[in-house]
Amino acid sequence: MSPRVRVLLFALAVLCLAPAFAHVALHLPRFGAHPLPYGDAINAAGTRERHVTNMVSAVNFDYRGFDTLGEEFMLLGAVTGTATLLRGTRGERKEVPQQVPGRPVRARSDAVVLVARLMGTTTVLFGVYVALHAMTTPGGGFQGGVIVSSGLLLVFLAEGYRGWRRAMRSEILDACEGSGATLYALCGFASMLAGLPFLQNILPLGKVKDLFAGGLMLVENAGVAFAVAGGFAVLFLEFLEETRVEADGDDEEEKEA
Amino acid sequence: MTVLPVGVMPPLPVAGPLAVAGLLLATGTRLPRRMPDVVAILVALAACVLCALMAMGSAHAPLVYWFGGWEPRHGLAIGIGFVVSPAGAWLGAFIALLFAATLLFAWGYFDAVHAHFHVLMLLFMAGMIGFCLTHDLFNLFVWFELMSVSAFALTGYALRTDALEGALNFTVVNTIGSYLILGGIGLIYLEVGALDFSALGRGVAAHPGDPAVAAAFALLASGLLTKGAQVPFHFWLSDAHAVAPSPVSVIFSGAMVSIGLYGVAVLDWTVFAGSAVVQHLVHTLLLGMGAASAAVGGVMALMQRHVKRLLAFSTISHAGILLVGLALSDGNGLSGMLVYLLGHGLVKGALFMVAGIMLASLGGIDELGLRGQGRRIWPAGLVMGFGGLLLAGMPVGLMDTGLERIELAMRDQHQIVVRVAVLTGMVCTGAAVLRVAGRVFVGWGPVSGEEECSPTDEEREKADRPLWLMMLPTVVLVALSLCGSHDADRIAWRAAALLMHPDGEAILGLATARPAVVAPWAAVPGSWLPWVATGLAVALSGLELFWHRLPRSLARGYDRASGPALGALGALHSGLVGDYVAWIAVGLALFVLA
Repeated sequence: MSPRVRVLLFALAVLCLAPAFAHVALHLPRFGAHPLPYGDAINAAGTRERHVTNMVSAVNFDYRGFDTLGEEFMLLGAVTGTATLLRGTRGERKEVPQQVPGRPVRARSDAVVLVARLMGTTTVLFGVYVALHAMTTPGGGFQGGVIVSSGLLLVFLAEGYRGWRRAMRSEILDACEGSGATLYALCGFASMLAGLPFLQNILPLGKVKDLFAGGLMLVENAGVAFAVAGGFAVLFLEFLEETRVEADGDDEEEKEA
Repeated sequence: MTVLPVGVMPPLPVAGPLAVAGLLLATGTRLPRRMPDVVAILVALAACVLCALMAMGSAHAPLVYWFGGWEPRHGLAIGIGFVVSPAGAWLGAFIALLFAATLLFAWGYFDAVHAHFHVLMLLFMAGMIGFCLTHDLFNLFVWFELMSVSAFALTGYALRTDALEGALNFTVVNTIGSYLILGGIGLIYLEVGALDFSALGRGVAAHPGDPAVAAAFALLASGLLTKGAQVPFHFWLSDAHAVAPSPVSVIFSGAMVSIGLYGVAVLDWTVFAGSAVVQHLVHTLLLGMGAASAAVGGVMALMQRHVKRLLAFSTISHAGILLVGLALSDGNGLSGMLVYLLGHGLVKGALFMVAGIMLASLGGIDELGLRGQGRRIWPAGLVMGFGGLLLAGMPVGLMDTGLERIELAMRDQHQIVVRVAVLTGMVCTGAAVLRVAGRVFVGWGPVSGEEECSPTDEEREKADRPLWLMMLPTVVLVALSLCGSHDADRIAWRAAALLMHPDGEAILGLATARPAVVAPWAAVPGSWLPWVATGLAVALSGLELFWHRLPRSLARGYDRASGPALGALGALHSGLVGDYVAWIAVGLALFVLA
């Protein structure tokens, strides 16, 4: 199909779809006018039943915790798949790599190093804070995990590539990711061992507004934080490793130098 | 079962493989070499047993399991439920069995460090089983995505350029499908305010003429039909199946595609049963799409020389027959679809394994290039020839039992055109596979000179396994597809009845369970269709192999009659992802026009 025919075909299809789209859009409930029975029910009962104030976390980790289990492993699958596809061609490197031949090492300014060192540690700390406060304020293990791993990425800026590789061991990151996700699944099995349905709370719920309220949700949240931090760090590692493959231009640069 | 009551089983076949996958990833580097293989096979077998036990335990009333113990309050589902019915559970058992066979087939094939292949396969399996058991629309989407994500990575596993291109087409098209599903979920949640299937069904029945409900169905169905590879959403399939490693293609064709169609069946009967517009759409548009897929897939299969691509098109064709069974919207059609799904999965799985054996033992997959070279692996040739006959509709086994039911429904509803399309699909796919078997394993057909030596992609899979190890799962799958068809028909009849009359009020705790209404089972009178189809397929494959021996004028006429139309059809399957996206838009527009 030539590009013109393709666009024509697409335009015709859109032409047919447009009136239907308008028709459906006009029949939807007005903005803010529809009843949302689920949200009301959770808001009414959540704090009483689960002793937490962040209802999003209550839904994610408890009322619909089983969805999050699936999503956790979806992330694990995506990261594993990406790692497989990226690693495949170049294999996995265990040792800390040497400098790519012919690529000039540019000195980083002290300001960058200082800022990255300061920001790196604070970012990791902030990520832990966000993950810990999942039950009381907006945030949670997923968000916190992403922040922690982006803090780890600042190690690259502060210490250069070799420093980054010395700090990041792929087997440790894999273990962090895999065991975090497994921890979530094990929470469900723990409930079953206690004779309860999968993922039903088995720990004391704690006091409302307390950092450690929420029972089993806390453990699940920790599992998510580990899995996400490990998973994203694996991604960063693999993508940065891609830049180490000798590009076609490298040799020429060497000649010029 | 005294050790484990059937009531606590529902989470196990899903959460168990997930937990093991996580552990394998965490410990992958430290495990002995063959450990991941053994663990994955054992997990698949365990999941198969659990699903089969649940299927037997749910024969009279569905097993309802609320995660976290959140039972519905006044009809409002607070948490997520699994409602295990015989149809879903038997499907789960079939999937797990197919995985076990595939993992055995792939024994030692994926030796890479970290056991990544096994992790992805276990995630893939868990996603598919969860998809079959769940009773919550968003949860369905979660398992659908898990299955897609692992499938994308597995497709590109071989890391050749064409593998990555096929994987990319697959990813783009299926991700658009996922977005459509998500859009559909959003629309119907906005309208009805629930995600549980039973609650949605009540809500849909309360808004019968609502355009948003019909639009939600259109979006959900398009997404699932993309996975189910129906015309015009089918283009990705042949690209992806042709390049994926053979063990992965076994799963794709054997189970993943048909699971998408099972999803449509579940939504059709549990959620949208109360909407006349949707029922009309199913009975007209989906029926047409199924018939078109059956015919187009069959004709395209006949035109291929790359054996895996040929099998991929035959999957499109047979998935079309499945959709026809579903869209006929009666007990015969649906129960026929369920049996046909199992039979086709087993047969097509075995055929892809034969393709894998060809890649490993003969070092190629090109039908013309391998002419006559397959003699030394003749057992594989026997399976392929027999599989071709089964695809064509030879009257034995599960495929035939399913087809007879679908045929009965088509005859009752006087669907002449659809019957012709189904017949075309069966004849063409059967003939194509028979032709390959004849050419590669016997050496029939003309020596075509230049064409035979034309450069094809260098394709080869690792040849480190003995032939018997690869043949074992292949033969088991074919043998399974031949036995128990009478019992399967009875079970599917009951399973279809339970699927068509879900007891939503009882699931939501609004009423006590009522006894299931199952019409008395009656054997299907045998029809002439299988005999005609098999005969025609054998004749057509003979024609394809020996057309050069026909009188010259006849041969030229055959060439001229089939040439241009087939060329145009072939040109549509361009491999360009932009084209595919345009066709998805066309498919959506069809929903509007219908």
